[in-house]
Amino acid sequence: MKRDHQEISGSGSKPAESSSIKGKLWEEDPDAGGMDDELLAVLGYKVRSSDMADVAQKLEMLEKVMGTAQEDGISQLGDTVHFNPSDLSGWVQNLLIEFNGPTTTPDPNFNDDSEYDLRAIPGVAAYPPVKSDPGLENTRKRAKTESSSSSSSTTTRPVVLIDSQETGVRLVHTLMACAEAVQQDNLKLADALVKHIGLLASSQTGAMRKVATYFAEALARRIYRIFPPDSLDPSYNDKLQIPFYETCPYLKFAHFTANQAILEAFSMASRVHVIDFGLKQGMQWPALMQALALRPGGPPAFRLTGIGPPQPDNTDALQQVGWKLAQLAERIGIEFEFRGFVANSLADLEPEMLDIRPPEIEVVAVNAVFELHPLLARPGGIEKVVSSIKAMKPKIVTVVEQEANHNGPVFLDRFTEALHYYSTLFDSLEGSGVAPPSQDLAMSELYLGRQICNVVACEGMDRVERHEPLTQWRTRMETAGFSPVHLGSNAYKQASMLLALFASGDGYRVEENNGCLMLGWHTRPLIATSAWRLAGTESGSELTQELS
Amino acid sequence: MVQTHHCEDHETVGEDKEKRPKFFINDHVDILIEILKRLDGRSLCVAASVCRLWCTIARNDSLWENLCFRHVSPPPSSVRSVVLALGGYKRLYTGCVRPVRSRLGRVRRASWAGDEVQLSLSLFCVDYYERLGGSNSNGRLVGESSPSSLMFLCKPVNV
Repeated sequence: MKRDHQEISGSGSKPAESSSIKGKLWEEDPDAGGMDDELLAVLGYKVRSSDMADVAQKLEMLEKVMGTAQEDGISQLGDTVHFNPSDLSGWVQNLLIEFNGPTTTPDPNFNDDSEYDLRAIPGVAAYPPVKSDPGLENTRKRAKTESSSSSSSTTTRPVVLIDSQETGVRLVHTLMACAEAVQQDNLKLADALVKHIGLLASSQTGAMRKVATYFAEALARRIYRIFPPDSLDPSYNDKLQIPFYETCPYLKFAHFTANQAILEAFSMASRVHVIDFGLKQGMQWPALMQALALRPGGPPAFRLTGIGPPQPDNTDALQQVGWKLAQLAERIGIEFEFRGFVANSLADLEPEMLDIRPPEIEVVAVNAVFELHPLLARPGGIEKVVSSIKAMKPKIVTVVEQEANHNGPVFLDRFTEALHYYSTLFDSLEGSGVAPPSQDLAMSELYLGRQICNVVACEGMDRVERHEPLTQWRTRMETAGFSPVHLGSNAYKQASMLLALFASGDGYRVEENNGCLMLGWHTRPLIATSAWRLAGTESGSELTQELS
Repeated sequence: MVQTHHCEDHETVGEDKEKRPKFFINDHVDILIEILKRLDGRSLCVAASVCRLWCTIARNDSLWENLCFRHVSPPPSSVRSVVLALGGYKRLYTGCVRPVRSRLGRVRRASWAGDEVQLSLSLFCVDYYERLGGSNSNGRLVGESSPSSLMFLCKPVNV
């Protein structure tokens, strides 16, 4: 595997100029190890013939690293000082160290813990050259990670196989270090770490890689203050929810469990009214309508009020959904009425607009799937909406929210929480048996990626993904004057069956938590469904339990 | 015994036709239906390719209705009108009931039989609703309007 000599000569004229230094720094022992390579000696490089293979190998690694390094890496070539360029082997080694450790010299207020493993910092400031041997091993390993994906199978050289779990751990540590740097407002360090994350992420595969990439992008956006232009377009988000509905069971679980609670609340009513805070494509309602149609005693008259965001192209998306539902209703023989309301925010709604009829005539249900947490971004938002709900006098309120704490005051805590949450979520997408990586899967990941971006990069009114855990929502609803309605065994059974249908049914878990149902992946709950009624009113579910 | 009988008949074929009327199942459609009613889904599909008569019978939705509700207490009459409106029992069976039953077979508990049908009906309704999308590709970023909400049932299970 001999390099062509011309390539070596092209890589710099420095060695010729600094050849005078070599006499001082380099003590060559001519007796140890054979003759210098004649051809290279002519050019001013002293390479022993026995070392040729090694040098060639390192040059090859260098070429690969240069190919995969970020653009900034190349410019570092000019800035670094090579202590003995005519020692070709050592020179290449220095370059490799530079490429694999693109961090700048460490900030004095940054305490370097060896667990972050930034030994690859170039120069002698951090680590004296004596310790460069373990550093060499590290860089050799890292360079191998870059090259292993492309060529390890074809080489006959002894390759140190990198433990990808090790880079996985390193990746997580670097993510955390970057978040900490952002928390401390140390943007220079954060910037360097973000680039490092990119390199590490490329050596991973699958869910870890995707999650790391999204988090790295979000961190970069936060550091450079470049916010995604369409982050505030909720109609785009609605469209992205469709592939998410299809590829994984979370939304289906949400719909089925909420429907079960609503069905039980509607058990004796002859006219019912559902107010859906986020109509989107109306995927929740066909199943409810079918269940109402087959109700013993015949279906009630069904009225649906759907609320949605304004569309960028001014089409009436709500009306189209209403039309489809009307066709379905006609098919299965249900009296159906639909109204759509366009609102930028739920807080803009006034209950009077909704034409609520008295409870003796019509039973009302309010449904909010992932619609309440964005209200936490505006002061007073959630209070206004809760009081509106109370004014509607609903028999039941169904709430589905993400089971995560992404609304804490400290950025680093939010970041850590989000990292765990979305890693689990992506893991479940991976393991859900969607065998060929389909476009729907990619769109679902994009849907989640936008959430990640919002949680990490945005602040203030822009940060709408303010997820809070069930315990906090419980407190909020109870102080506002609601009491919990227990989701019964029917809902639990339906949910369990639904999940068993998904290819990796053993990964998903349904848990009952004080009358609420939570869906999670292995041990981590991810979304929670809860149902509420106005405190002081009697609940209908006790009656239905007797009947069933 | 039948074979020896045939041997004797071989010489007197013409006379035999008048003496011994052969039994053709196709002449007795009611018996045929009773038999086909008891078949499982796959056999019913195979039966449909035997001959035109069998094909017509097998297409009859009531046979598939039987299949769907075989192990379940008889459903209320309202179910029939809903199912027929949404596409018929054959579609319900092949699209929902069969995959649901086979998937849940691993973890099935006896009490789930009725709920399996309930769940299948709900999924069936969702599927119908998606098919209503038709030429209107609003909301579908991908542009295809083919319903895929039931696709998760079609995907091979990694056993």
